[in-house]
Amino acid sequence: MGKTLFSKKNRVLLAELTKTDFKLRYQGSVLGYMWAVLKPLLMFAILYVVFAKVLRFGDSIPHYPVYLLVGTVLWNFFNECAQQGIHAIEQRGDLIRKLSFPKYIVVVSATSTAVINVLINLCVVIVFALINGVTPSLTWLLVLPLLAELYFLALGISLLLGAMNVKFRDIGSIWEVLMQAMFYAVPIIYPVSMVADNSVMAAKIMLLNPVAQVIQDMRYSLITHEAVTLTSLSGVVWEFVSIGIVAVVLVVGILYFRKKAKYFAEEV
Amino acid sequence: MKWSEKYLRRMREKAHEEAEANENAIEVKDLYKSFKLPTERAWGLKQAIFNRLKGIKGFTRQEVLRGITFDVKRGEFLGIVGRNGSGKSTLLKVLSEIYVPDKGSVKINGTLVPFIELGVGFNPELTGRENVYLNGALLGFSNKEMDGMFDDIVKFAELEPFMDQKLKNYSSGMQVRLAFSIAIRARGDILILDEVLAVGDAAFQEKCNDYFKSLHGNQTVILVTHDMGNVERFCDRAILIENGKIACEGKPSKVTKAYQKLWD
Repeated sequence: MGKTLFSKKNRVLLAELTKTDFKLRYQGSVLGYMWAVLKPLLMFAILYVVFAKVLRFGDSIPHYPVYLLVGTVLWNFFNECAQQGIHAIEQRGDLIRKLSFPKYIVVVSATSTAVINVLINLCVVIVFALINGVTPSLTWLLVLPLLAELYFLALGISLLLGAMNVKFRDIGSIWEVLMQAMFYAVPIIYPVSMVADNSVMAAKIMLLNPVAQVIQDMRYSLITHEAVTLTSLSGVVWEFVSIGIVAVVLVVGILYFRKKAKYFAEEV
Repeated sequence: MKWSEKYLRRMREKAHEEAEANENAIEVKDLYKSFKLPTERAWGLKQAIFNRLKGIKGFTRQEVLRGITFDVKRGEFLGIVGRNGSGKSTLLKVLSEIYVPDKGSVKINGTLVPFIELGVGFNPELTGRENVYLNGALLGFSNKEMDGMFDDIVKFAELEPFMDQKLKNYSSGMQVRLAFSIAIRARGDILILDEVLAVGDAAFQEKCNDYFKSLHGNQTVILVTHDMGNVERFCDRAILIENGKIACEGKPSKVTKAYQKLWD
């Protein structure tokens, strides 16, 4: 995989498939690519009205609207990435049955639309943050590595579950339900402090989930250093445990995918 | 970018030289391939767990290719015939590295362009031009290489005025013409065609016939077809496959006779 990953032929195919996906995604809609930005903004607006204005969740947090926006943007990214990635092999079955090319390209290209979207969205977040009076700091540099961590997690899950989903189509549905549950197990709409007030242990465990860890670290580095992170709660060592989880998922995903990819053409 | 361009060209040249040096374009040795066919409903997680608990295998094995050996010389036009389900398409898919063989080996000298089906990956929402480039990328050609072939492909398909139209606005005849033109104008060392000859109207067919005749000796082609007329017209040699084995091999006239005898 390592060698072919960088071959010109595969990069051309990856670029071409990504371009096609991106072009087709919003075809026939009046606003076109604008939806890539609009969708998370609208979701944010709903959450903002419900949780910030009606339920008053974020009164204790500075810049709460941007704080909320970061959470929704990252969650959307992770959700879209994994969703597209898991179903990629199944959806591109027509190609896989009739042509020979490295199968991981299909998964990577399916997730790359989400990557393009999140990069656009993060620009929106930064504009919002500046308007909201957040002062730029050096920790903003952490945005990209954190994003990479989240992407590798989504990619690892996509490779692992996507390969399983070829044979057991239930996997896709199970994942959807899991994601519904995870939305509430990750501090997107409520602040971590609400959990920590009840049980510090629960908050610690919650933040060991790499998705939660990335969201909180991103809030810390982008918006306010008051955001509760895995480092501030459990110590910086635990940060590496969370990154370790991502690494394990990615490696297991790659190995399993490689083992199964040979037979996708027959099974999909 | 430049460096990788150079690297790619060097790799291609090397592959080409190797192809030149070797007299055989394809060497197939003792090829076996079988499929697991799920019995009833072995799909889905529940059934899989159930089957495992009960010790049911959940599938039967079907032997499709059982010991196929043959060579294709460089520049040779080889026809493969046989009745439905005899293993022709499976053989092509193993040659194209879409399927992994259970046993045996396939050696390909040079680049291979497979057309198991015309217009794989064609998208109705993209323009003709975009589809050509997408198709090219899927077959392993870079955009630059496609730039070189593009005019040729479009000219052969006689679709010059329509390339910036979406494919969904093409007639079905135009779509297959475009797909077919990509298939035969793409410059690979070996061309594999599965049942894709009869496309377009009489004029286009005539043109294709002429083109295939002109290919003689310059291009390695493997053609799977049920049209014995085409086998005799184009092929230098033919193979009849029956029950996953080579039943007859040799001159086209001999093989087509053997093919017709299958039903006697």
